[in-house]
Amino acid sequence: MDDMTQQSDGSGDAPGEALADRAALPMLRADLLAGLFFIVLGAAILYGSWTMPRLEVRRIHPMTVPGLVPGLLSIALIVCGSILAFRSWRAPAPGGWSELGRAVVSEAARRALAVIVLVLIYTLGLVGLVPFWAATAAFVFAFIVVFEIWLATVKRPWAASLLWAAGLAVTASAAVTLVFERAFLVRLP
Amino acid sequence: MLDGLGLLFGGIAHFMTPVSLFNIAWATLLGIVIGALPGLTATMGVALLVTLTYKMAPDQAILCLMCLYSGAIYGGSRTAILLAIPGTPASAATTLDGHPLALQGKAGTAMGLATTSSAIGTVIGVIALALVAPLLAEAALRFGSYEFFWLALFGVIISGQLTAIDDPLKGYIAGILGLLVAMVGMETLHAHQRFTFGIPALGGGVDLIPAMVGAFGLAEILGVMKRTSEARIISSANDRVLPRIGEMLRYWRTTLRSGLIGTFVGIVPGVGEDVGAWASYAAAKRSSKEKALFGKGSKEGLIAAETGNSAVVPGAMIPTLTLALPGSAAAAVLIAAMFIHGIRPGPLLMTENPEFLYQIVAILLLSTLAFTVFGLFLTKPLIKVLSVPRERLMAVVYVLCVVGSFAITQRMFDIYVMLFFGVVGFILREMKYPMAPLVLGIILGDLLDLNLRRGLLLTNGDPSPFFTRPISLAICSLIVITILMSIPAVSKRVRALFDRRAGSTRA
Repeated sequence: MDDMTQQSDGSGDAPGEALADRAALPMLRADLLAGLFFIVLGAAILYGSWTMPRLEVRRIHPMTVPGLVPGLLSIALIVCGSILAFRSWRAPAPGGWSELGRAVVSEAARRALAVIVLVLIYTLGLVGLVPFWAATAAFVFAFIVVFEIWLATVKRPWAASLLWAAGLAVTASAAVTLVFERAFLVRLP
Repeated sequence: MLDGLGLLFGGIAHFMTPVSLFNIAWATLLGIVIGALPGLTATMGVALLVTLTYKMAPDQAILCLMCLYSGAIYGGSRTAILLAIPGTPASAATTLDGHPLALQGKAGTAMGLATTSSAIGTVIGVIALALVAPLLAEAALRFGSYEFFWLALFGVIISGQLTAIDDPLKGYIAGILGLLVAMVGMETLHAHQRFTFGIPALGGGVDLIPAMVGAFGLAEILGVMKRTSEARIISSANDRVLPRIGEMLRYWRTTLRSGLIGTFVGIVPGVGEDVGAWASYAAAKRSSKEKALFGKGSKEGLIAAETGNSAVVPGAMIPTLTLALPGSAAAAVLIAAMFIHGIRPGPLLMTENPEFLYQIVAILLLSTLAFTVFGLFLTKPLIKVLSVPRERLMAVVYVLCVVGSFAITQRMFDIYVMLFFGVVGFILREMKYPMAPLVLGIILGDLLDLNLRRGLLLTNGDPSPFFTRPISLAICSLIVITILMSIPAVSKRVRALFDRRAGSTRA
C-alpha cells in the first residue's frame, strides 16, 4: 500500500504544476465555503437520519435501523468538512476573496453559464413541450450560433457559421430521431 | 487450467460470427474516435452507448461496450501525441513524451509505438484477468457480509485517495457524497424509503446511468466549452507509422513492468486508466537508464504510459466481474449495463455463468486486434476527426446525453437527474474534487449499507466479527493505514523512519 501511495504522490504533481500556484489562492477561499457547506449538509442529513422512523412497531433490531448508515456517513461528512474548512481558514491567502470573486465573474465562468442556460432552456423548457426533433434542431442551432458568433474564440465568417449551424441542426435532429426511434427502437422524450 | 483454456477457445469461437465481428469493428472504431476527441471520455462513451445497446442480445451488448471502452482508452493517445492535450484523462501521461516526439517529426513513430504498446498492455492485463479472476472468485465465495462491508468502504476510500487531484480529503468527500446519494430511496433490509421527501420518483433511488451521463457528459461539456483557447493540430505525421520490432523489444522490461503496474492499478477499485498511466510512467522514469530524455520525447516514457493505461482495462474487469466492485469509472457503467442485461457480476458469476468471464477475455483480445489494425492503417482519417470544432460537436453530444439518460426507463425524472449531476459535477470538478469516488460511492452505497446492517443483524448487534474475522481485519487495517498515510504529518514521519533505516543499512 505504502508503495502505491508513493507512486501516486510522485506522479500526481506532474499535471498542471504551473497552474497550481496561481489557482491556489481563490481555491483556499472556495474550500472554506465548501467546507462550511459540507458541515451544514452533514448536519441536515444527521438530523434527518436521527429523526428517521426506527420501525419499533416491526420489532427490528435497534442496530439495523434505516438511519444507521446515513447517520454515520453524515458524521464522516461533517468531520471532513470541518478539516477542510479549518485548514483553508488557517492558511494565509492574501487577496484570496477578490481572486475568487474574479474567478466567478471571469470569461470562462460566463461561457459555462451560457452553456447551462442553453441546456436548461432546452431540457426543462423545450423537451416535452414541442416535438423532440424540433427542440433538438433549435438547441443545436442556438448552441452553435452562441458559441461561434457571440462568444467566439476563433473568428469565423458569420454566414458560414449560420449555414453550418442550420445544416448541423437539421442533420443532428433527423439523425438522432431516425437512428434511435427506427434503428434502435428507443423511445424519445 | 485446461478447463479454462477450453472455455477461452469457446469464448473466441462464440464471437466468430459476422454480426459479432461487425460489432467489434464499429464499436472499436467509434471508441477510438470518442477517445481521440478531447472532451469525450471513455466513461462518457460507454454510458451513452448503453442506450444504443439496450435492445441487443446481452453478449452483443457487452461486446460493443467493452470494445468501445478499450478503443477509447487507446484513441486518446492520438490527440495526446498530435495536439499535446489528452483525448481522455487516461492519456495525460502520453502527452509528456508523445508530443515532443511529434515536434521532432516523429509523430508516426510515436503513434505506431503507442498502438503496439497499448496492444501489449491489454494482452498482459488479459492474461492476468484470465488467471486471477477465477481464483479471486473462488476466494470471494467465502466472503460474508463483514468482508463485503469493508471491501465497499475500502473501494471508496482507496479511490478517493488515489484519484484525488491535489488533496485526498477532497477524494474522501466526493466518495462520502456518492455514498449519501446511494442512501436515497428504498433500502433493501426493511424496505423503508429514505430521504424521498414525498417524491415518488425518488423511491427507486438515483439510477447510475443518468448520474454518470451527467457527471461525465454534461460536466465534461461545460469544462470543454468554458476554455477560451482551443488547441489546434500542431504537427502532422509524415514518417513511418509501423514500428520496427527492434524498437518494441528494446524496452521489454519497461513494457512488462508497465503492464503489471497497470493491471494492479486496474484491480484497485475505482482507480482507473489515468492513475495506471501515471504510476507506470513514474516507475519507468525512476528505473530508466535514459532519465534525462523523459519529458523531451523519450520512447520509453511513451511506451510506459500507453502500456500502463491500456493494461488497466482488463485489470479493472477482475474486481468488476468477481466482486462486483468496479475497477474503474467506466467499469461502473459496465456493471450497470450487465444488470440491465440480466448478468449478475459477483462471486457467483463463475458458478452461474463461467463462460461469461472467458467471453470478456475473448472480447478484449479481439478488440485489441481491431484497434491495432485501425491504429496502424487508418492514420489519415483519424487525424481528420480531430479538426471537428468543439462548438459543433458539443451541441450534438448534449442531445445524446438527454437521449441516453431518458431511454432506459423513459422517465423525464432521469433527465433531471442527469442535469443535476452535470451541474453539480462541474462545480465539484472546478474545485478539484475527483468524480471517480463519487460514482463508486453511488454504486457501492447499497452494498455497504446492506452488508453492515445485515452483519449486525446476524450477530444480534455485536460488531466484533467485523474486526475479528481474518480477512475483515486485514481489509480494515488496510483502510486505517490508507487514511493515516493520507495525513501529511503522519506520512512524512513514516517516510523519514524508512529513510533513516535505509540510510543506516547503507552506512
